[in-house]
Amino acid sequence: MIKFKNVSKKFNNNTYVLKDINLEIESGEVVVICGPSGGGKSTLIKTINKLEPIDEGEIIVNGLSLQTAGTNLTALRADIGVVFQHLNLYPHKTAIQNLMLAPIKVKKLSKNDAKEKACKLMERIGLANKCNAYPSQLSGGEQQRVAIARSLAMEPKIMLFDEPTSALDPELTSEVLDVMVSLAQSGMTMVVVTHEIGFACSVADRVVFMDKGEIVEVGKPPDIFVNPKQKRTREFMSKILHIPVNNINGDNQ
Amino acid sequence: MNLFEQIPNWKFYLLGAYPAGPLGGLTLNIALAVISIFFGLLIGIFFGLGRTSCRRYIRYPCVFYIENMRSMPLLMIVFWFYFFLPMIGFRLPLFWVAVIPLSFYAGAYQAEIVRAGFLAVPKGQMEAALSSGMSRGQALLTVVMPQAFKLMIPSFVSFFNSQFKNTSVVYIIGIVELTQTGIIISQRQPNKMFSAYICMAIGFWVVCYSMSHFARRLERKLGILDYESYKPEICRDDLALLPLPKTVKRLMITNK
Repeated sequence: MIKFKNVSKKFNNNTYVLKDINLEIESGEVVVICGPSGGGKSTLIKTINKLEPIDEGEIIVNGLSLQTAGTNLTALRADIGVVFQHLNLYPHKTAIQNLMLAPIKVKKLSKNDAKEKACKLMERIGLANKCNAYPSQLSGGEQQRVAIARSLAMEPKIMLFDEPTSALDPELTSEVLDVMVSLAQSGMTMVVVTHEIGFACSVADRVVFMDKGEIVEVGKPPDIFVNPKQKRTREFMSKILHIPVNNINGDNQ
Repeated sequence: MNLFEQIPNWKFYLLGAYPAGPLGGLTLNIALAVISIFFGLLIGIFFGLGRTSCRRYIRYPCVFYIENMRSMPLLMIVFWFYFFLPMIGFRLPLFWVAVIPLSFYAGAYQAEIVRAGFLAVPKGQMEAALSSGMSRGQALLTVVMPQAFKLMIPSFVSFFNSQFKNTSVVYIIGIVELTQTGIIISQRQPNKMFSAYICMAIGFWVVCYSMSHFARRLERKLGILDYESYKPEICRDDLALLPLPKTVKRLMITNK
């Protein structure tokens, strides 16, 4: 469904933000991307709907190449939902108007249809009573759930999450993760940048570890988190799990 | 000095020689300001957005226009159009000869306000709108613009204020607006000169002050500045190092 072929992106012509990325994501798969900050995770996710252009290689989404000039970018983007780290709700619109805007403008739905659909989605994320609240009146977790619902309103085939919980405190994190878990269980193709190990272990099919613009290691969650093969991965995991390095990998080395 | 001695002249201050002659006085100032601000806004949106363009052949001309307009005195621009337009064969009524330079001047300043407003909207808003499948135009129109305009209102009001006062400059090309009316009256009745100048000041003050007043109400209504929660509390210690007399400090203290 999403295919990266030798994708590279340079910054200032000499430093690589992405370096020779090769990755294939199947339909219905949940892929978690983790790694240190500045490693190119967010950039990688933004290249999937061409918010970030790339310099070399090719990205194919839904069988369409992003690098071909004739590709209808807006139609493609309508099929990809994105949830950002910073709560990017439209502050001048109420929660339900946030959900209705894109379906009305892009899918040309009538106002009533869009509203009906938006109401159902608000119910699904458990915020049916907050339809007419402005984003500033919602908590961080509620805002992020509305942001997820806003992406779902376009009925996307792929959902991208760019550190959706890193701006939230731990208590609010769980309510957002609950929505994401139920989404994953419904068979949505998801690419998630996150450091939530619990989430990754419970729903991720694969974990991608990235550092300095390169994919260091790809594998099943337990392999990456508990038994990483690469030294760089091991160091990083020990830091986020707060366990000394040699304890993770036993005495094999 | 007696302000009441100017009462017989009130019609001249408000309307100039109208209906016997051309419109003038305070009404003309308001007309000049409103029309030049309107055209200036059109110019401003165009050049302000143009300046944020990533294409050089759009951005550079916009920067050229804005920076040159802003670095010339308004008086010079007015003169320039007054002499230049007839030279290239345009013979317009005097009113429009005044409106055109005022509009170009307003356009340059409003372009900067527009640009600042658009840049102040977080980048993520555009990204969010684009990634939900909207085109750039749709995203600008429905997501970025409403937020940007709200941010621009305070700067716009401040500019409208100075633009209204700028309209007095065009008296130099023989337009009888409020300033020129006052000058003429004071020349015809030199014994009433002082009150004539006070009347001019009152005319400008009333319009500018009511404009600021309505703007403040609008801002409060739109929630741009929450005046209720913005009450600076000043106590004695805050003023300790200020080199001011004690009596002045006592007046400044709001929280004892």
